[in-house]
This record gives sequence, C-alpha cells and structure tokens, in this order.
Amino acid sequence: MNCEACQLKELEVEHFEISEVLRCILHTIVFLRALGLVQPKDVDLELFEITYVQCGVVEVEKKIDEKIEHFISWVEKHPNKKSQICLSFYEVKSKQPSWFTNKTERLYWEQWYVNLNVTQRPKPYSGKSHHTKMVVDPGESASEERSSRRAMLEASLGEVLSQIIKFVNEKKDHVPPISEGVIYFPYEITIPSSPDSAFGMDMIKRMLQTGHPTMLS
Amino acid sequence: MEMDRESGKSEQIVSQFRSKILHVILDSRVPSFHHHHQQQESFSLSRVRKTDKWFNLVLGHRPAALENLNFSLRNLLDPVIIDIILVQHGSSSSSVDNICTPSAAAAGFTETVIERWVVQYDCPRVVATPSGADTSGLYKKTYRKSIILLRSVYAQMRLLPAYRIFRQLSSLSQTYNFDLVYKVSSFCHPFTREEEHVMKEYSFVPVEALSGLLCVSVTYRTSLSDFNLEPLVSLPPKIITDYVGSPTTDPMRSFPSSEKGVRATSFPLIGVRPPSSAPLQRPHSWSSGFHRGFPFAQNQSLAGSPPAYSTSPMTYDVASPPSDMYGNRIQNPRLSTLQQVTARDEYQLSPPFSPSPSPSPPTYLSGANPLLSHHRSETAPVTIPRPITGRSSRYLSPNSSDTSRHSLPPLSPRSSKHYASSQESPSGIRSYRKIEALRAGESPSGLSNHYSVHKVVRDSKDDSGRFSGLLSSSGSPRIGFSRSSSRLSFQDDMDDCEFSCPFDVDDVDVSDSLNQTSQNVEGKKASEFTAQAVPVGKKSQDAAVGILVQMLRTAPPLRQDPSCYSTHSIRTEYEGGIGTASGFFMPRKTADALEELKSYREMKDLLVSKSGTQVVRKEEM
Repeated sequence: MNCEACQLKELEVEHFEISEVLRCILHTIVFLRALGLVQPKDVDLELFEITYVQCGVVEVEKKIDEKIEHFISWVEKHPNKKSQICLSFYEVKSKQPSWFTNKTERLYWEQWYVNLNVTQRPKPYSGKSHHTKMVVDPGESASEERSSRRAMLEASLGEVLSQIIKFVNEKKDHVPPISEGVIYFPYEITIPSSPDSAFGMDMIKRMLQTGHPTMLS
Repeated sequence: MEMDRESGKSEQIVSQFRSKILHVILDSRVPSFHHHHQQQESFSLSRVRKTDKWFNLVLGHRPAALENLNFSLRNLLDPVIIDIILVQHGSSSSSVDNICTPSAAAAGFTETVIERWVVQYDCPRVVATPSGADTSGLYKKTYRKSIILLRSVYAQMRLLPAYRIFRQLSSLSQTYNFDLVYKVSSFCHPFTREEEHVMKEYSFVPVEALSGLLCVSVTYRTSLSDFNLEPLVSLPPKIITDYVGSPTTDPMRSFPSSEKGVRATSFPLIGVRPPSSAPLQRPHSWSSGFHRGFPFAQNQSLAGSPPAYSTSPMTYDVASPPSDMYGNRIQNPRLSTLQQVTARDEYQLSPPFSPSPSPSPPTYLSGANPLLSHHRSETAPVTIPRPITGRSSRYLSPNSSDTSRHSLPPLSPRSSKHYASSQESPSGIRSYRKIEALRAGESPSGLSNHYSVHKVVRDSKDDSGRFSGLLSSSGSPRIGFSRSSSRLSFQDDMDDCEFSCPFDVDDVDVSDSLNQTSQNVEGKKASEFTAQAVPVGKKSQDAAVGILVQMLRTAPPLRQDPSCYSTHSIRTEYEGGIGTASGFFMPRKTADALEELKSYREMKDLLVSKSGTQVVRKEEM
C-alpha cells in the first residue's frame, strides 16, 4: 500500500497563535479521516473567523492538545525556527519479531506535514529580519500591520484547510477500510522534540518499524 | 443475481447520500434547520437514529420537511439542486446581478443566489458492465468514498462565505436586515454572465458507483461584502407578566378585540402579500417556506439499514422493502431491485409532491419583511395549537403574574431539540406564548386564528400536499422565509416545530392533543370540544374557584373587612347563584373577583359562540 503524503502550505505564526492554528489543522485532518460513527462538532477559532470541525471524540482532543503543548514547549526552547509537525495514519500489522523490530509494525498509509514558521512579535516596517530591533511606532500603524498580518494568516489558514479537503478528496483509494466500531484510524503526531538531527532519527526509526522507506511526495 | 444485488446496494447508497447531503447543506445554511449542538442529546451509540448511521455522520433529527424533499426527489437520475438565497430587505445591495423577481422587487426585497449546490448521479447511457469479480464489494468502496466525500462537504461548507452570515442569522443576539432561504429543485436557471463573474465553482472529486458517478459541486459567491448586511436595532420583547391585570383593571381593555390589533401586537405582519398566482417555474421545485411545517410521518424507516463499514462479514444488507406506517410499498420500476431505496408510499400526496405542477406559488414570500417574516411562516399568528382542555381556565385566568402557570407544556425533546435556539430562551418564549395564548383566548379573531391554526395542523397532518391550499385556507400571508435571528422568530420556530414534527411518535402528548384539537375544529366532535373548551359543571366550578383563589392571593390589599369572608363562603355563593340575598353581603374582594369572573365568562362565551359551538352555561352569577 502506498503511503500518501501531503505537505501543507507553510504558515507564519506567532507564539500565541500556535495553539489555535495547530488545533484547527490537526482536528480537521482527523475528522476527515475519522470514518467511523462520529457526531461532528463545530468549533470557532477565537483569533480568526474560521470554523473547523472536530470528530467529537474526547481522546482525540486530549491527544492533540497534549501534542500541541509539547510543541509549544519545544518552540519556547527553540525560538524563531521553522518547524514541522507530522500527523501519520497507520495500520498495525503483526510480524515476526527480530532484533531491530517489534512484533507489530506500523504500516503508514498517509502522512501530513504541517509547516510552521514561528516568529517573534511583529516588528513594524521590518518585514523580514527577525533579529533587527526597531523602534515600534505606537498608534495606528502598528495595529494596522498587526491586523493586516492577522488577516493574511487567516486567509492562509483557510487555504491550508482547503488544501486538506482537496487532498482528502483526491486521494481516497489508499484509505484502508475501517473496522466495525472503530471511529478513527490509529494515528500519531510527531513533533520535533530536539534539534533537527533527532527529528531525523525519528524518521529513521519509523522507517525501521514500517520495514520500507517512507515515501514523500 | 450478484450484479442485481450490487446494483441495488449501489443505488441505495446513492439515494441515501442525496438525503444526507441535503441534510448537511440545509443544516449548515438555513437557521431553522440548524441544530445547536449544545442542545443536542449526548451522543450515544445505542441511541443513534438509523438516518444518522448512514455514512457514519450523526446530524441529529431530520426535519419532516427534509423527508418530504427526499421523497420528492427520489428519482436518482434527477439532479438535486439546492440554491441558498440571500433575501435582503430593500434594495440596499449594490450588487447588480441580483435575482429580483417582480414580486420581490415590488415588495422591496432583493434575492440573490449566493450558493448553488448540485448533487448528481451521472449515469452514462452506455455503461461498461464490469465482470462479477470486479463488482464484488464495489459498493463497499463506494460507501467508504461516499463517507469521505460527505465529510469533505461538511468541512468545506464551513469555509465558504455563506457560512458566516448563516452564523450571524443563527445568533440570538441580533436581528438583521436579511435572511437566508433555500430552494431545492431538480432544475435551475443558469447564472447570468455577471453572476458567473462573481462566483466560483468548486467540484468535489466524484465517487464511483456501479452505474455511474456521484458528483457534488458548488458554485458560490466569493465575497458577500457587496451586500449591505447589517444588524437591526430592535427592542427586546417585553414580557408583561401581569398582562391580565389586577382585579381593579378593566379586563376588557386588556384584550384588544380587533383582529388587527391582535396581529399588530403579537406577530406583526407585513401587509404585502405575495402574488397568489406567481408562476411556478418548473415542477419539482420547493423552497424553504414551502416545506416548513409540512409534517411527515415520523420514524419513517428509511430504506434498508446503513451498511456496516467494515471488512468483517458484512452486517450490511439491503433490508426488506420497508413499509411505511400505512403498510404500503413503493413500486418504482426504475429501482425495481430496490424498492427499499426510497421506500415511501404516496401517503395520498397530491401536488407538489408529485410530478404535476403544484398549484401553490413557489419559493418565498418576497413581500415579507425578513425581520418580521420569520414570525409566521404559513399560519396566522397567535398559534398555539394546544388542546383547549385545561387551557380555557388559563385563558381566563386573571392577574397572572406567574408565567409558569400559563406556560405551555414543554415541547417534545425531539422537536425542541431541533429548534434549539428556542430552547435557549425558554422562559422568554413561554412568557411570550402566554401572552399570545391569552390574546388568542380572549379575542374572537384570536380564537379564529387559533382555529385556523388547528385547521392548518389538521390539513398538514393529512399530508395533503395541499400545502399551498393550506396556506390560503389559513388566510395568512405566505411567508416562506427561513428565519432570521430575531428573538420573535423563535416563537415561529417553535410553532413550526409543532407543525413539522407534531406527529413525532415520541411525543404522544403533543400529537394527541393536536389531533384532538384539530378534530374539534372540524366540528366533527363539537361536543367533545365543547366539553373540553367549556368545562361545564364541576370542572368550571373548580376552575372558577381556582381563579378566585388566585385572584385573592394576588389581589392588592383592600380595606379590612372581616365580615364573613372565607373560601367556603365563596364556594357556597358560587354554587348558590347570584340571586341569593347573601350575595349582597359578600365582601368587596370576593365581589370583585366574582365580577371579574363573570366578565371572563362572558368573554369566553363570546369566543366560543364565535367558533360556532354552543356554550352551555350551567351557572349564572
């Protein structure tokens, strides 16, 4: 079975926006892939005029919130970095245990890469460099730029959600059947837990578990 | 055989998908359809409806109007076209490409299609018949992909511009100068070039079925900023808790006798009526106002049971052709292998729920003020189709500052759940209803409206499809808009709820009471009605005593007159008749109370006489 992957458009977010943005994206993906019996739950973002849908499962909500907290902790330790959160759906297959692998393996069939660029507080008129320090003009210009940036982020987030829906619609054949009584496919959320090299190690671990290379589109 | 089975299942999935997506779309665009999730029952697998199990998406109660739509659009080859129409009061929109029907323009309303959803089962004429091996289990894939498609549609609906104004309208805190209505049909007028210029199309990837492709697309306005969508400043409804007044108040003054007055006070209506002969564009076209309040037998088991989505031995099976409540079955030659697909009987439906053109005008009341149109959809105001039994005392109950005593019985969980917005302000609604109940009970016109409402209920109960006739017979303006967000609108929502789901099998009391009342209106059981409406004898005595006790409790203090006042003496006096000499020596409080009771009785008699029933007055004061 092919593993389909989707690289989502990068979003430039501020620290306080991470939680809402991630929650929106991750829940949308899980809802679209939760093919069991669900009662959809509409959730309004506080920072943006966007409503997303949750599958309404408490466990999912807890797991996502927990991962977001971990990610925010990581971001605080590694500011001004581009980061990637990976949401992977897999099937559990049993296999012969060996030295390097477990008795069960995870067969990943879909992966979503959420790309975030966490920035510091916006510097008016700076535009690009995160390290330049400029005197912030108080008044309308700062608030205008802030609201402009917010509007752009809102539009970008809407695009990302549309991108998710489009991908979900286009790629259906690889989705495995869901068992009776199961609400959603098993999934995992991978966040950068340490410097990039360790993140790469996570990928290698996953490859060993799956037994075949992860295909990236 | 296997092919037939596959074909049947495939078509069943397509049919159910159409129903489900209709529910999704209307639930996300029409405030009156919308569920407030907070008000929903807690999700429990054991209590999930059959309709919710389809495509594993729990949407909650499916309104009766939706059931009728599904039945009417049962031909799978006909596309389902759902237009979401923005109705704006006045011509404040700067958009140049509004659809402005003559009637709408005359009434000062602008209607614009802001979204058009098209659900189509595209069956090519020549279908390459797959081999048996290929088709085996194909319906499972179709079903799985349909689930994904439905979820995509659900999520996408929240991203489109129309969702924001839908949320505005669903809000309780504001009223607006616009409304959202819908129109479901199997045809549509193409957009003009100007309209296409401001609209964008999005097509979902079709889902393969055995005989064709299940296609969903939406054409939507990319921006609604052209429309001057503003909130209106409105005064909150004022609840007059002591509307009846104190014993010293002239009771007659509190109850306007003119029909106009009643209407103006309760549910102000726009005087502009839609043209009664507005041409129906095509058959198979229905709009929001058309369908609201059209009850349908509840718990009509949909065809078959939803397939269990699993790889295990399928529990999914195409159920035996379900029978409706009348035990009839659909004979659809096209779906001969799937009688159960849309297994509905005709239910003695006459147009428009049949291929012939409907006699009723389509769509919405273009002349209605959206602010006010939601107050009444098809029926006259002051619609409290509750049994007269036990109500008459309420109508006559004076000096009622306790709204709960005059509040209506709570709605059934199902009906109230559907119109959760009304649930969000139950006290307000109850109080409001109380006012209307009192007015209805005490003004001749109010009672006639009351009767007309019952007639509405009765007619709609017959599923006559004489829906338009129903409207015209009630004599009320055909206000077909879906609701805007006025507080007053939720009265209508609740009324509609009663009309659309009055025969909920879970709500035996409501339906029974409605049945009872409606029959009374017909005069078939006038005596029964009389017995209920005019409790002669013991009931009236008890009621009168109750009224008296209530009045005495709430009456302002009078001068102290210890002379022989007691409940017992009141009762004795009541039974003895006014002619007795002892009445002359009655205390002032009791006398006032009795006088007021008399006045109420007179009013009641007047109302009853107007309804054509004989009121027998057993006692005379």
